[in-house]
Amino acid sequence: MIFVPVDVLVQGSRLFPRLSEETASAGVVIAKDILPLALLPPIFLYIGSTLLGWEIGAEHAIRMSPNILFLVSLCYFSALLFGLIGLAILLRWMAPTYDASLELSRHLTLVATVATPMVVGSIAHLYPHVFVNMLSIIPVLIWSMFLLYRGLPILLQTTPQQGMLMASSLIGIVLVAAVTLLGITVVLWTHGFGPSLGL
Amino acid sequence: MSVLGIHRKLEENAGLLIFGILIVSSIGGLVQVLPSIFQDELVSPSVETQPYGALALVGRDIYIREGCSTCHSQQVRPLLAEVKRYGPFSSAGESAYDRPFLWGSKRTGPDLHRVGAKYSDAWQRVHLIDPRSVVPKSIMPAYPWLAEKPADPRNTIQTRMRRLQILGHPYTEEQIANAPERVAGKTELDAIVAYLAVLGEAAGLAEGMVH
Amino acid sequence: MPDSNVYNDRVVTVLVVLSLVWAIAGMAAGVFIAAELVWPTIDLGQEWLSYGRVRTLHTNGVIFGFGVSALMATAFYSVQRTCHVTLFAPRLAWFCCIAWNLVVLTGGISFLAGWTSGKEYAELEWPFDIGITIVWLAFAVVFFGTIANRKVKPIYVSNWFYGALIIVIAMLHVVNSLAIPISIDKSYSLFAGAQDAIVQWWYGHNAVGFLLTGGFLGMLYYFLPKQADRPIWSYRLSIVAFWAFTYSYIWAGPHHLHYNAIPEWVQSLGVVMSIILLAPSWATMVNGVMTVAGAWEKLKTDPALKFIVLALAFYGLATFEGPMLSIKSVNVVSHFTDWTVGHVHSGALGWNAMITFGTFYFLVPRLVGAELYSIRLANIHFWLALAGTMLYILSMWGAGVSQGLLWLSLDELGELSYGFRDIMASMAPYYALRFVAGAVFLTGAVLMFYNFIKTMENRTTVTRRIPEVKTANVVAEVAA
Repeated sequence: MIFVPVDVLVQGSRLFPRLSEETASAGVVIAKDILPLALLPPIFLYIGSTLLGWEIGAEHAIRMSPNILFLVSLCYFSALLFGLIGLAILLRWMAPTYDASLELSRHLTLVATVATPMVVGSIAHLYPHVFVNMLSIIPVLIWSMFLLYRGLPILLQTTPQQGMLMASSLIGIVLVAAVTLLGITVVLWTHGFGPSLGL
Repeated sequence: MSVLGIHRKLEENAGLLIFGILIVSSIGGLVQVLPSIFQDELVSPSVETQPYGALALVGRDIYIREGCSTCHSQQVRPLLAEVKRYGPFSSAGESAYDRPFLWGSKRTGPDLHRVGAKYSDAWQRVHLIDPRSVVPKSIMPAYPWLAEKPADPRNTIQTRMRRLQILGHPYTEEQIANAPERVAGKTELDAIVAYLAVLGEAAGLAEGMVH
Repeated sequence: MPDSNVYNDRVVTVLVVLSLVWAIAGMAAGVFIAAELVWPTIDLGQEWLSYGRVRTLHTNGVIFGFGVSALMATAFYSVQRTCHVTLFAPRLAWFCCIAWNLVVLTGGISFLAGWTSGKEYAELEWPFDIGITIVWLAFAVVFFGTIANRKVKPIYVSNWFYGALIIVIAMLHVVNSLAIPISIDKSYSLFAGAQDAIVQWWYGHNAVGFLLTGGFLGMLYYFLPKQADRPIWSYRLSIVAFWAFTYSYIWAGPHHLHYNAIPEWVQSLGVVMSIILLAPSWATMVNGVMTVAGAWEKLKTDPALKFIVLALAFYGLATFEGPMLSIKSVNVVSHFTDWTVGHVHSGALGWNAMITFGTFYFLVPRLVGAELYSIRLANIHFWLALAGTMLYILSMWGAGVSQGLLWLSLDELGELSYGFRDIMASMAPYYALRFVAGAVFLTGAVLMFYNFIKTMENRTTVTRRIPEVKTANVVAEVAA
């Protein structure tokens, strides 16, 4: 049994050929790899926020009550869980175009691998200060991108050429999805949902 | 002849292609931009709007030179929060004597369209020379050289006003005749502070009205 | 007398090198001003290091130095090959190359001295505006002259885009720069206030449209099929996309002036046309993606293609984000914030710089007839460019959305929740991340520069004969 997140940290990209040979079912990958990955950042956030409180755009730290904070962490967890699984489904949807494997477990494993550095970076949530969290993004993001391009063709059993095309397409789609989410959030704000804005 | 066939003609004739691009790309400009150039109310000054006085005009040119508009807008949008933060929203008529317009596209610092009513000249002088002495966390550059340089060393103030007169700014002969006197002995700092002080005047704001 | 049977590539090599020098200089200026926003005193109280002046040097250096030199280089390279003739008026091409770079260099120095018209992306004062007009006319003569001499009948699609670049930028530049000079370093715009705003953003938006989008699409349409070794996926789509693009881009400028003091109908028209613009933009992206996706067997995962493919992904993001930001209920929050800066850079770093890097990795070894000095360095560059762009976009999304939200938010009593100074101070982490992102991207560009110097070392531009045209009537193929 391999626990992907730990192996990524220990072995780096040498892990991919071995991971590719392991066959676990999608359910197992979700339970064993995706779930812990989605669980850690909210836990870090909860701990950090209850102890210290966030500083955003104000002199004083914003402290939320433990109940609200629990709710926020829960939302964070489900967003991560659905996000990671959604990403795997997206990859599977793209797979035929790039002659990649259709086994969802492989897509899930790839997502878990790529997400691992990010989750490691989320340790910064323990000190909930924008600056620290921003700094942690830098190495983590480079690492994730590297794992994505390196791991995709091996894990999804396609040619390096098509793997490269698929990884780039994925980045494009994820960025467009992210900016769409931002846009929808802002439109909701300007239409009276969420914070009160002076429009 | 199919559409592709017609297009083949364009592709095979460089002159037609150039002509086609010129026509197709001009339509938007002709319909949208050209009318605004003949729309007088866009450039008719509002009642309180006056052409800049000699010293303020020099100050405005220094404001442009230092790229102040890369971080400060001069455009209060008609939004509740902006009117609360900055003052009455901006109208087109207020910019009638602005060549170029300085509405800006970025607020790294705050909007300045009503700043004249917000701070005293003394505060502005200190702030421009050393922003962090009055706003500790400010990221604005310091402008120490403004205090050391004469406002109009090459004596071009009358040329500036005459050229603007050609463009329709209603300067009187008396104003132009007196201009060198108003600028004489002043520093660039005096000039830019004079300019900042008139920002908001056109909106009928007296000093201290906006908080 | 230059030999009319060989391609004139020496001017291309020089333009590529100058473009690279501008890339480093312009991006370094960008990293410096990013640092100034974190540590405001590093200008040491010197006028010529002041943010307001260096920022102009940065934008003009990368757009007109790096961008236009690259466009001239690739236009000269591809127009000869798609037309099967040598450059028309080669001396004039050399004039374009040298005069253009002199204008941008002296213009850049003039910014540090405080010469500026104050109009964004058109800051050069009137003497330089005249210089630009002259060089641009020369560029048009060389380019269209070469097309007029062509040996194949149809004009290839990349040349339509380069042609539109030359024609439309000439029109925009001349109109927007109209001014009355006061002295050598100062002029007053012929337009005032709201009119000036409308004219300026008609220019500003379409300089992005026809130079940074259209011009670089010309580059894409030639070098992508070339690299993939197959014709463009859909020829019809490229026709439709080209004309739709040329027609609709021009209208979108007023979305830069939402809620500002310009007529309501002008703003609304700007939004509608901005959204329509998404169609031709994405049609082109699909065309590019399908061109490579269908031909993967022929591809090598070489750095050139990696950059070009990734550039398409960021092109997709930027051309989607733009129309989205033009919607009024999004724009009300995003306007005046760093989100705009992030959007510009997702285009500038992710699309313009990446496609140029990819093209140069393809072009430089061919120009000097040698293998690239180090594939490994190029791969490292790829990671740095990707990470730098992503970090830049993320930091500016964070900064922009926070600013937009915090500036507008009201408390229970209907009063402003946050003071401007507090909000500004809270930007420090995002600005620090942006500085690092820029530095990462610049580091990659420096590696590329070194890689190219080593590739070109002790070599000269290879002379290549123009191949015979087999049939003059084919739909313009990408010639060998």
